[in-house]
Amino acid sequence: MENGTAAEKWQFRGNEVLKTASAITIRGVLNEVMDNIEESGPRPIIPLGHGDPSAFPCFRTVQIAEEAIVDAARSAQFNGYASPVGIPPARSAIADYLSKDLPYKLSPDEIYLTIGCTQAIEVILTVLDCPNANILLPRPGFPFYEARAAYSRLEVRHFDLLPEKGWEVDLNAVEALADENTVAMVIINPGNPCGNVFTYQHLEKVAETAKKLGILVIADEVYDHLTFGSNPFVPMGVFGNIVPVITVGSISKRWIVPGWRLGWLVTNDPNGILRKHGIVDCIKGFLNISSDPATFIQGALPQILGKTGDDFFSKIVNILREAADICYDRIKEIPCITCPSKPEGSMFVMVKLNLSLLEDIKDDIDFCAKLAKEESVVVLPGVAVGLKNWLRITFAIEPSSLEEALVRIKAFSLRHAKKQ
Amino acid sequence: MANGSSAKWDTFQGKEERNAASGITVRSVLDEIMENLNPSDQRVVVPLGHGDPSAFPCFRTTDVAEDAIVHAVRSAKFNCYAPPVGIEPARRSIAEHLSCDLPYKLSPDDVYLTAGANHAIEVLITALARPGANILAPRPGYPLYEARAAFSNLEVRHFDLISEKGWEVDLDSVEALANDKTIAMVIINPGNPCGNILTFNHMKKIAETARKLGILVIADEVYDHLAFGSNPFVPMGVFGSITPVLTLGSISKRWIVPGWRLGWIVTADPSGILQKSWIVESLKSYLKITADPTTFVQGALPQIIKETTEDFFLKITNMLREAADMCYDGLKEIHCITCPHKPEGSMSTMVKLNLSFLEDISDDMDFCIKLAKEESVIVLPGFAVGLKNWLRITFAVEPSMLEDALGRIKTFYLRHAKKQ
Repeated sequence: MENGTAAEKWQFRGNEVLKTASAITIRGVLNEVMDNIEESGPRPIIPLGHGDPSAFPCFRTVQIAEEAIVDAARSAQFNGYASPVGIPPARSAIADYLSKDLPYKLSPDEIYLTIGCTQAIEVILTVLDCPNANILLPRPGFPFYEARAAYSRLEVRHFDLLPEKGWEVDLNAVEALADENTVAMVIINPGNPCGNVFTYQHLEKVAETAKKLGILVIADEVYDHLTFGSNPFVPMGVFGNIVPVITVGSISKRWIVPGWRLGWLVTNDPNGILRKHGIVDCIKGFLNISSDPATFIQGALPQILGKTGDDFFSKIVNILREAADICYDRIKEIPCITCPSKPEGSMFVMVKLNLSLLEDIKDDIDFCAKLAKEESVVVLPGVAVGLKNWLRITFAIEPSSLEEALVRIKAFSLRHAKKQ
Repeated sequence: MANGSSAKWDTFQGKEERNAASGITVRSVLDEIMENLNPSDQRVVVPLGHGDPSAFPCFRTTDVAEDAIVHAVRSAKFNCYAPPVGIEPARRSIAEHLSCDLPYKLSPDDVYLTAGANHAIEVLITALARPGANILAPRPGYPLYEARAAFSNLEVRHFDLISEKGWEVDLDSVEALANDKTIAMVIINPGNPCGNILTFNHMKKIAETARKLGILVIADEVYDHLAFGSNPFVPMGVFGSITPVLTLGSISKRWIVPGWRLGWIVTADPSGILQKSWIVESLKSYLKITADPTTFVQGALPQIIKETTEDFFLKITNMLREAADMCYDGLKEIHCITCPHKPEGSMSTMVKLNLSFLEDISDDMDFCIKLAKEESVIVLPGFAVGLKNWLRITFAVEPSMLEDALGRIKTFYLRHAKKQ
């Protein structure tokens, strides 16, 4: 650590834990995959690795949302600091918006504004963080939970989602994993990475299991309403009477604006259990020392939530349905890839890699690296989300690009097929 | 944390230390004071407690900034996720902007975007924290450093700012406090809460002291360029070759847009020591798992920085100078208050409360609560920033309101003055 002059000793050093915690993010894994892409490749890169369709014109957000931002900015009413829990009109707007799908009315006081769903996750994991506590996470899942947990004292235990049962939660595994130090379980619905949508009955069983175990449910509903199959979206908050639920969500996915960084943490807890146990105070206390979402975006929320027409939502859902169908149908033609469950929600599908049908591909990372290099198509190796030798494919891109990508993946798989 | 069979919910007791850490923030103390406002007082409440003049029309931000936001939103180019360190054009524009005042050129890679300067503090403290380590912070200071340090289990030791010497750093106490576990010292320049500007010579001495102790300097320059007295603003980065400097800043104060949540951390470290000691690595790691500033605000930044005119900046500093003068002069007539140093920068000043001149006022908090109740004027009790029985008075408000407030504070003093 010298820098040339005599007798220098610097006493500061980097934080080791952070390095480990941040190593497993999706962006990190994708960057590694993308390092294999030839700079001078003639064909455009097709990104089926990440969940951000905002770059594609067909997915452009609704004009009302843009205008709401413009109005809020020009009003000069929202240039100041916001209250740490969020500004009242934004809290009310979200309470009204979410209450539409619940059997009870949410109060604005139960809504906490956050910098995207990402910060909402950070808040709840921080609040629950204490020595010896553990949380139950789904596998496959969303590795941000693991990354944040690694940076806390929370122990992580994984329960499986069952591919043969439409990726339902293995509730027996949940019961087996939980002990007296378990504080919560996380479900992601609509599902990332699996693209499934839980049924009402299954969610009810999840609630009953959680109640039996004395744990709360963290319901990650960032893809709320993005369903296009036979199962409708049911918010976990519907079962808030059975078990306390913390819902985390945002406008990022439904409005295709992940860059706007506007999310929420909601306490769905009609019986007031979370308040009684100091969780609400903890949430407020942590928000008090944390940064906030931009005030003018909060200011734009009532207009965004209130005025976006169903035709925009239908348009997006229709594109997703079309894309999911294309994806599922083309994958059937690719022997080394199996899709156990047709996607019916969110923006992703998990597919299994049959390495035995491939020559010289050793695992999912190798598959993705070589696919990137040879075909300029990026998919996410399943190890990044907890299932090695599976792949997560994002279908939320322009449908014609998706078709092209699947053609390239098929060509790749034929090129690497084991000779008979 | 008992665990009876059905009282399982006890597992999530709120964490005491979390609540304690957040107990003292400027916002929470002001909230407490404001609970004492008299609802039947018809007069407008004058907020001299917080640093946010954005609500006053005379302090409205420049049209250029609003236009830049509108332009960025309407382009639909910035609805996507940004890289954890920030988007390239924004990093570049800040690097160029800050380099104007430095004897060397910053690279865009030296710039890390955060959701406001408060978030920058969070990122820095988190990246630097190590078991057993300590940082040195000024007293009086800005309590978020203490709150975040407590949260990360980083010890804070306080050095004094010397009121008789224009609130300069007591470098002897810095040397006495530091030990082999000290990793950094914080300076806030222009000063919050004191309203002072550190001189070039003094800052050089600070750098030399830090180098001798082997520690880095965290330079909180969120009020950069808001200097209107005889001392010009000098960025600490000027001394980055003497000791590594981590500069924090944002657009919040200079552009009067704290609600936009756009700040930065800059490594002002031409010798590359922060890189070699893994501090840069830690920063980047934590940025991957923490919240990001809104992408389109990042997108607007180059336009904001390039096109804001000198006229706007001059207008703001002129208003601040006038207000500071009015405040200083007005306080001279209030004998229970002494202002040791005429404010020459930032938005607030620290004044001493002479309780012996007052009847039935027990301390600074009592003064502020009664002042709120009787005169609908809010000032910040000094204990919130580390100096009990002092007050922090923000002068950055509409001039006629400031005049009104000073009149009311005088009335309050006369009402509570000790009879002779």
